[in-house]
Amino acid sequence: MHEATTPDFKANVRAALANKNIQAALGNAQAGFVAKRAKARAGLPEFDDIRDAARDLKNHVLANLADYLERYEAKVLAAGGHVHWAETAEDAQAIVLDICRAAGAKTVNKGKSMISEECAINDFLEEHGIRAQETDLGEYIIQLRHETPSHIIAPAIHVTVPEVEAEFRKAHTHLDPARNLSQMPDLLAEARGVLREKYFAAEVGITGANMLIAETGQSVIVTNEGNGDLSQSLPRVHIVMASLEKIVPTLEDASTILRVLARSATGQEITVYTTFSSGPRRAGDPDGPEEYHVVLLDNGRTNMLGTEFQEMLRCIRCGACMNHCPVYQSVGGHAYGWVYPGPMGAVLTPSLIGVEKGGQLPNASTFCGRCEAVCPMRIPLPKMMRHWREREFEKNLTPSAVRWGLAAWRIVAGRPWAFRLVTGVAAFGLRLAARGRGRLATLPLGGGWTGHRDFPAPQGRTFQSQWRGQNQWRGRR
Amino acid sequence: MSAREAILARVRRAAGAADAAAVEARLAGGQAAPVPRQGQAAGAARVEQFIAKARTADATVARLATPDELPKALAEELRARNLPAAIRTGADPLFDRDWGGIERSQGIGRLDEPATLSRAQMAMAETGTLLLASGAENPVTLTFLGETHFVVVMAADIHAGFEDMWAAWRARGLDPRTVNLVTGPSRSADIGQMLQLGAHGPVALHIFVVG
Repeated sequence: MHEATTPDFKANVRAALANKNIQAALGNAQAGFVAKRAKARAGLPEFDDIRDAARDLKNHVLANLADYLERYEAKVLAAGGHVHWAETAEDAQAIVLDICRAAGAKTVNKGKSMISEECAINDFLEEHGIRAQETDLGEYIIQLRHETPSHIIAPAIHVTVPEVEAEFRKAHTHLDPARNLSQMPDLLAEARGVLREKYFAAEVGITGANMLIAETGQSVIVTNEGNGDLSQSLPRVHIVMASLEKIVPTLEDASTILRVLARSATGQEITVYTTFSSGPRRAGDPDGPEEYHVVLLDNGRTNMLGTEFQEMLRCIRCGACMNHCPVYQSVGGHAYGWVYPGPMGAVLTPSLIGVEKGGQLPNASTFCGRCEAVCPMRIPLPKMMRHWREREFEKNLTPSAVRWGLAAWRIVAGRPWAFRLVTGVAAFGLRLAARGRGRLATLPLGGGWTGHRDFPAPQGRTFQSQWRGQNQWRGRR
Repeated sequence: MSAREAILARVRRAAGAADAAAVEARLAGGQAAPVPRQGQAAGAARVEQFIAKARTADATVARLATPDELPKALAEELRARNLPAAIRTGADPLFDRDWGGIERSQGIGRLDEPATLSRAQMAMAETGTLLLASGAENPVTLTFLGETHFVVVMAADIHAGFEDMWAAWRARGLDPRTVNLVTGPSRSADIGQMLQLGAHGPVALHIFVVG
């Protein structure tokens, strides 16, 4: 199992900032995501109204979650499926293993699923002698590299093209070593060929679920590659791993979320495949699975209900928050140390693995607010990060230097005369220290900033004194 | 206490009493989300929008007046794409016809499947999306294993957007194992963040709009 390295966040960040591959890959990809989302949003005048409706529908579901879960379960059972309730990731592992053993599975094919990452299902199955084969291209690449995803919708975003070629040559030893893999289409064709054969070998297919529909008992997956569909259509058994807040009431409600999901994620109006599945194959069906299981995972989510973190359960995992986050853009996903990176991870990780381990993530924010501005579900991410900072402080987990600093800040900020005095002296002193160059290459206690860039020196007076001057001038007029 | 009971009890404790009437109303179609203008096209403009949106999603589209034109149109497409004169289909009665020089086989998708033909029960103009329901008439594997996937949809089955399509869908009273919404051929940007067509599913999607 991949241990969370979240407690080592600061060291992870330093390593990521020094890693040229990560920096190059992030730079290219982020710009693409941001531009594509902006274009998709501009193409749908009703986008913001639909966001409001999506927020309201999820709030309604969370307020009535138990009722919806029971109705959803009844529909799945009526269609001939099975529902398994899992309190923890370990419970989910045990449930999946039991189903695989009963199916006599040697190989399990996997569509992309963040819940399966949360449960570290691959390593667990391997420990028990069952091969878990990732089929999403990005997941396949990082599985070859023994890594975890660095982005929730682009898991291999940090891997360069030459690195993909190297992994394929290492893994696909049955192919001609002299083959040409210099072009991207060569790599895609090879992956397609290798994985196509694996689809037919597996006894069990595991997918995630973007949504669970109470009206119909369907699980919904949203993909572009088609791997999730082959993973669930060819094996004899289909297991859906989903967290319990994925419920939506009706097909129309699912559509409201679909209208904002792909636009926010990849800038598409809709993904290539949106698949609604319920139960096993019907009588007379020539294909499709003979068994259908849903593993409903809690793993700490019900403890978020009724707290200041409840709104996080509206998240639909589009990745827009991380695509627009200056911190994610600088350090990438692996630095966050667990399954969920970026602003959504900074809120969700402490909820799921504890503030003791995950408490540093909400500190890594400039509170610029872009994540909340682009979130299709209007989740107030900065506000919730602030709640985590408070909890961390209350639990005495904050380092003593920070606590002293905050205490000193409180004294100064609470007394206007002291604030004016300190900022005035600082502005004057920094201006002198800059010696007319307008910027500072080093700063006492400011090495974290000046180690990477110059600090702009104040031009003389403080903001407050300039503001006062301007108001006096206005008053004279 | 089972995990199920423990979870439901925790949810009820945290969320308070559920509003049973609100849940009923919602499930009975009580939602009032905005329907974008993009999902409201009517008449001839609807079919035009469907075709334009499908092409934006990298599908190719041809219009046929009647299903009888299908064998000839398909033969031309197969030739133009350098594909063998063979097609794999399900048991849809629409495909029970004289295929001329095309060898038609019937059944599920196999490992190597150069060309498959399905029938979309519905489509929607909102995003140029096809709706395929699984079953003996349309094996789901044909949709994903065909290297080139041909799909027939009747112009009369093209709806404006999600809302009217779902209403028509419910009215048909079908209950298939899978409902696949398909918009263009498969793709991936996982290698070098460069979008390429033909990931695991079809490399090409060609739609015949009939009528």
